[in-house]
Amino acid sequence: MKEFRFRIILILGAVALSLYLLYPTYADSQNTKLINSKLEQFRDSLRTTNPELSEDRFERLVSMREDEIFASNPDFRDAREKRIKLGLDLQGGMYLVMEVNTAKLLEKLAKDPDQKFLEILNEAEQQAKIEEVNVVSILAQKLQQNNIRLSRYFGSIRQDDSEIISSLEDQESDAVTRAIEIIRNRVDQYGVSEPSIQRQGARRIIVELPGISKEEDAKRLLQGSALLEFKIVRDADFTIQVMNAVDNKLAELLKSPSDTVNVGDTTAVEDMTEEQFAREHPFFSIAMINPQSPFADAFVRQSDRPKLESYLVRPEIQNVIPDNVQFVFWAKPEATQDGEEIYRMILVNKKAELTGGVIVDAQSNIDPQTSAPIVNMQMNSEGAREWARITGANIDKRCAIILDGVVYSAPTIRNKIPSGNSVIEGIGDLTEAKLLEIVLKAGALPAPVDIIEERTVGPSLGQDSINQGFNSTLIGLFLVAIFMIFYYSKTGVIADIALFFTVLFIMGILAGFSATLTLPGIAGIILTIGMAVDANVIIYERIREELSTGKTIRAAIQSGYSNSYSAIFDSNITTFFTGVILYQFGSGPVQGFALTLMIGIACSLFAALVVTRVVLDMMAAKGMKVNIG
Amino acid sequence: MRIFQNTNFDFLGKRKIAYIFSGLFLSIGLLSLLFRGIEFGIDFKGGSEIALEFEKPIQISEIRDYLSDLGLGNVEVKTFGGETGILVRSELQEIPNELFPKVIETLEQIINKNFPDINFNLVDSTRASVTYQINDKDKLESIIRTLFQNGFQATKFSQEEDNDKFIVRVGISDWIQENLLANMPDNKFQVLKEDNVGPKIGKELKRDAVVAVLLALVVILVYLGFRFKFVFALGAVAALFHDVLITLGVFSILYNVIPGLNLEISISVVAAFLTLVGYSINDTVIVFDRIRENIKIHKTAPLEDNINKAINKTIPRTVITSLTTLVVVTVLLFFGGEVLRAFAFTLFFGILIGTYSSVFVASPFVLEYAKRIKKGIQF
Repeated sequence: MKEFRFRIILILGAVALSLYLLYPTYADSQNTKLINSKLEQFRDSLRTTNPELSEDRFERLVSMREDEIFASNPDFRDAREKRIKLGLDLQGGMYLVMEVNTAKLLEKLAKDPDQKFLEILNEAEQQAKIEEVNVVSILAQKLQQNNIRLSRYFGSIRQDDSEIISSLEDQESDAVTRAIEIIRNRVDQYGVSEPSIQRQGARRIIVELPGISKEEDAKRLLQGSALLEFKIVRDADFTIQVMNAVDNKLAELLKSPSDTVNVGDTTAVEDMTEEQFAREHPFFSIAMINPQSPFADAFVRQSDRPKLESYLVRPEIQNVIPDNVQFVFWAKPEATQDGEEIYRMILVNKKAELTGGVIVDAQSNIDPQTSAPIVNMQMNSEGAREWARITGANIDKRCAIILDGVVYSAPTIRNKIPSGNSVIEGIGDLTEAKLLEIVLKAGALPAPVDIIEERTVGPSLGQDSINQGFNSTLIGLFLVAIFMIFYYSKTGVIADIALFFTVLFIMGILAGFSATLTLPGIAGIILTIGMAVDANVIIYERIREELSTGKTIRAAIQSGYSNSYSAIFDSNITTFFTGVILYQFGSGPVQGFALTLMIGIACSLFAALVVTRVVLDMMAAKGMKVNIG
Repeated sequence: MRIFQNTNFDFLGKRKIAYIFSGLFLSIGLLSLLFRGIEFGIDFKGGSEIALEFEKPIQISEIRDYLSDLGLGNVEVKTFGGETGILVRSELQEIPNELFPKVIETLEQIINKNFPDINFNLVDSTRASVTYQINDKDKLESIIRTLFQNGFQATKFSQEEDNDKFIVRVGISDWIQENLLANMPDNKFQVLKEDNVGPKIGKELKRDAVVAVLLALVVILVYLGFRFKFVFALGAVAALFHDVLITLGVFSILYNVIPGLNLEISISVVAAFLTLVGYSINDTVIVFDRIRENIKIHKTAPLEDNINKAINKTIPRTVITSLTTLVVVTVLLFFGGEVLRAFAFTLFFGILIGTYSSVFVASPFVLEYAKRIKKGIQF
């Protein structure tokens, strides 16, 4: 048995690993069932208690409740992250390819564009639609043909055409970066689960939004221009006051009748158990405040955010918050604690002091004196006038820079800024500075994007596809297995075991890579089932041949295998190559197919060359009768 | 069980028959490609496509009638899945100019009818959407819901509190949905999928697809040239060309012939073609591997005998693997659903032709070549 030990450990290890990798997928499907039943209960109770709730609001509350359930148990999230993901074609959702509209961007960038310029730009745009050339270079070429220097419209007079062209191309690339940031920001706020936003090539953005059904909502989300606002942050005393009011009101609202006994309980704060504290101070237990800090900024765990937001939108709570202020969250997490992201929340004036239209430009830099990252910001004359007034009146207060409703930065105003040229300091690192630059520019220079491809799959088609794919896999597996037993009898069973392991390994590897399973991907698995027996068939046929020359079974297995290697490798490597090419060519679903096909080839080879071999060798070693059909 | 035991069939002796067979198939296919052409799907052509699932069975001809005078030009209607599903396709991507006023009119009628005391005016319109401003912003949500019920996608202009504008998308699929809802009020439908592909994307995809298939052939040529004598690589690639061309021909011949089978070139069909290339080469390589082995063992035997022996020795494996693969592909063809049907069909036919070509095209090619150069092939 010793000679088999290594291989058996290898096989058992592979099986154990596959099962381990697949467990989250199983757990997630169980969790989903549980969550869905809870949500159904919630829906029913909501319908009976608040029958006049509008549909939008109803759905929003349900989705908040879902987030809350999800956040309540870290295992749920863990399983969700590690499961085999389903592609958009299986779970439904939207796939969009967007392209930055360079022509519109150029029109915005041009200094006093005249009729002639617009005509040429239009021609360039039309031409770019047919040819694979950049609008910028076509425009430059056309302007040159008309004997117009680029500096007539862009840059400064001293720059020559090539300098301007390269700066315009930079602007174009910046616009894509900006558009991605705006989209990511909004998608995050909108609460789409597992969105994917990628840059493709120079000017394209691919967005995948699973589970979105109202297309127009999603498209507005992606296309509308961004709203950049400057809002004054309220001071700590006032903020604490508001928070206290909210906390008290919440405690009152959440108190169940049985708790009334505890009213008047004078236990000191430090003696309270966590549970008690949470009951007495529902707001402060999830929106934590640093007592050492001069600011009253609250810090909220990612998992508590949905709960907090659902508290804050309650009409009773809205009533205790003054009309002219609002709570806003930071766009990016402040820090992570125990693997969980912490967000900062502040109280700002509802009315914006200034909106982003006045910003002319922004650059991130390194301060030569302190070598700390800074961002320079310039405003137009109208903005500068307003800015001087605002900064003058709010010295030592903080001013939040808010894009589409979330805060990116809240620097303190040090002194009155008369010229509109401001320097923002106190930024963590250069990446953060770069992000702030993008955000500031987003207000000034919208990045016009066009949707050039749009695919939506409804949830019912996705579910049908899952069922059909699953059934086809089972039927295919069953038929092939029966055939193998029929044709190779006992050794057919061994081939079937190898086949079963192949499918198990494929699924395990898919889960391990957290790959996305698409409908063509399922087709790839089904096809692999048919082709996976190939290596076994080659080997079995070869062993039969060797047996017919009068060899013993052990020798026949030995030479059967060694004579099959070259055929098996050469044929599978060529097929594997086509898989690689397919992966390069395709997008989304087709890549899923290529991936399962390639993984399938590798797994079926392992199963035939290791699993089947061990079983055959062991049978021969024990002197059992090996009957190849 | 054994289907083939020590077969000793003279495959190469029958190669002339195979030439006639292949030649015939190829020329019919090419003629059809030439005159009947090939149908590209929305992935490559661009346009709008929408798949709907009705509550009750529908008559395709009836729906064609409703959609024929929509002003969208050539609108294709096909079944999708069972008898309650349809697929509607237009080559257009956005509402044509001359139709725009009519769409606006319909839209405004819907609002007027349902909200007679609301004043609204058009504040902005692009080719893809129109924006209205209304005098009573509390009605926004119900207007939006009503528009949705009538097939139009609408949404608030912004989430700001004092927003009094809403946007309505006016795309091809909205117009189709609106008209179907108006014509068939008692047979509701839901949208299964909706695709909108710009012409630029289609052009790029076409180029990418051709590049991918050619690249696959080149890679195979190089790898096999490296592992075998170059003539084998040529033979294998010739067989692949044969397979791809004949399968394309079948697509052209059978397009719109078999009901329920939409044979048009989509991305997934291109993927199937590449898979067929991979599958067919797999078969061919296994025969070649045996020929290589035989030539090494029986150095003096004529090439024809060596090839024949190799084919005979590998024929059980060739047939069994093709059979198991055909079985699963057939399952996919019948149970895999509408989305995968053309894909499964390509593979089904491709496996048949690929198996045939590895025996009757690739190997004879090597033999014919060897005969022409009058020299033995050595390893």
